[in-house]
Amino acid sequence: MKTRILPANLIDDNTLWNDLILGDEKSFSLLFERYYGDLVSYGNSLSPYAEKVQDCVQDVFTDIWVYRSSLQSSVVVKAYLLSSVRKRIARLFERDHIFRKTASTDDIAFLLEFSVENDLLDDDYATKEKVSYLNKLLNELPARQKEALYLRYHQALSVEQIAEMLDVNYQSASNLLHRGLLTLRKEWKGSFALITLLFSSSL
Amino acid sequence: MQKRNKYTEIEDFLSDESFQQWVLSRVDENGWEEWTLESRQRAKLVEDARLMLLAMKIPENELTKSDIHRALQDTWLKIREKENQKNVKTLKLNFFRKRFLTGIAATLVIGLMSAWFYNNHFKTENKIVTYKELIDENSEGLVEQTNNSNKPQIITLSDGSSVLLQPNSKLSYPKIFTGNERKVYLSGEGFFEISKNPKKPFFVYANEIVTKVVGTSFRVKAYSDQPDVEILVRTGKVKVKSNELISKSDEEEIVLLPNQALRFLRNDMKFNKITNITQDPVLVQNVGNIEQLSFEFNDIPVSQIFETIEQAYLVDIDYPENKLKECHLTTSLSDQPLTEKLKIVCKSIGNNTSFEMNGNQIIITSEGCN
Repeated sequence: MKTRILPANLIDDNTLWNDLILGDEKSFSLLFERYYGDLVSYGNSLSPYAEKVQDCVQDVFTDIWVYRSSLQSSVVVKAYLLSSVRKRIARLFERDHIFRKTASTDDIAFLLEFSVENDLLDDDYATKEKVSYLNKLLNELPARQKEALYLRYHQALSVEQIAEMLDVNYQSASNLLHRGLLTLRKEWKGSFALITLLFSSSL
Repeated sequence: MQKRNKYTEIEDFLSDESFQQWVLSRVDENGWEEWTLESRQRAKLVEDARLMLLAMKIPENELTKSDIHRALQDTWLKIREKENQKNVKTLKLNFFRKRFLTGIAATLVIGLMSAWFYNNHFKTENKIVTYKELIDENSEGLVEQTNNSNKPQIITLSDGSSVLLQPNSKLSYPKIFTGNERKVYLSGEGFFEISKNPKKPFFVYANEIVTKVVGTSFRVKAYSDQPDVEILVRTGKVKVKSNELISKSDEEEIVLLPNQALRFLRNDMKFNKITNITQDPVLVQNVGNIEQLSFEFNDIPVSQIFETIEQAYLVDIDYPENKLKECHLTTSLSDQPLTEKLKIVCKSIGNNTSFEMNGNQIIITSEGCN
């Protein structure tokens, strides 16, 4: 999750984007600095080859600058960038497996494992238990549901944007998100009662 | 801001950035802690959302600022390479036509140069931001106070902050501060003592510079006809940056601590931070009364304390001398605006003591100390 605190007078993405289209190098650099980290960490969740991921992200930015005159001016910048990175990485897969027919972005598996906050210092043991249990459930979700959750809550994309990125319609994207949380909650509620019970009896 | 009152699902919380900040970085800018405790049902929902967030952490991004910077430079190299390839291709294609194009190219070069020249020239003119422009930018109704006398003048703002305005200076401020920010506009020089309120940061706009504080005292000197702007901090912490009107980018803020100063060269648009103010002849020469006087009092007669305040703020204090003859106080009044200082003194003398302020005239009513 992003923990950086942004300065108050941030110029919004679209202003920078439009200045970039007009050829403003400074705006390009600002957007680069703003999203490079996020894009690399997203890329890393799709491919295990860290250097290639950085290359891909840089290539995405290179193309943006070189072909800036053909860019659309009204895009959601972050969603556009994330989706470009996704496509790039898919293309990389395609090249590497040239004899295989897997070419669509659907075949990319979301590899990221959610992790648990290490320093739950001021939390009691029960909380830690709950968190790691939840974490286990989350990691057992199907890759696409995980990716949807990641895009929604770590990259703050809207449901529409997620649908577009994963190449599904709005309803499916919303289902992906909802089903993920629903399964989780169902399992969780059940075992939660148990955990709580165990704890209250042992105290 | 209170859209969270309508939250009914865990999902609502998960996507709230300020909630994420509270849970993951423990930065509670919006009072989540308190808000959560307002209702039991809410507390349950918040707890679930919190656990979910904690369980959904992803490995920290290991890229440092310099990593990103290097990546950016690499990318520019790639861009140049790609652009060259593109150009080589088009050049080859146009090899025969090139000669014909030379003439056009020359015209273009001249055109570009003049455009560049005009642009640069135009931009330097645009760099100077004046008080008037700043005032026009603001849409809240402002009160303007001008000091045409030859003595500093005290202004008390609606939040209790005080400003000691130097001769030939102007200050514009809203009659009552509304919203989440306190903004004032200065032309000339003033010494600011800001009442503490972390929820409503205080901004001083002066020429090209914006100074942001939460609660502190400092001096701003920004005459529109002088080549630089100076900020000198006495207590607390202050952040300074250039006004958005001249720089679009989110440039770094400069943080100033007590006894540090900053000089902004208006022509070069450069910040010079001065960490040792005693070595700077201009700053030393300019120290006003208020900055020289100490407000740390240890068993001092009240009359002496009032005298110090009179000297610092150039006000007249009228108080019942006989009744307060025997009163001594031990108190620290540094880092407090004028009204705060008076409040503290009155309260320390006793419950039956109060003050009234009318411009430069302050009247203390008291029945003596306990």
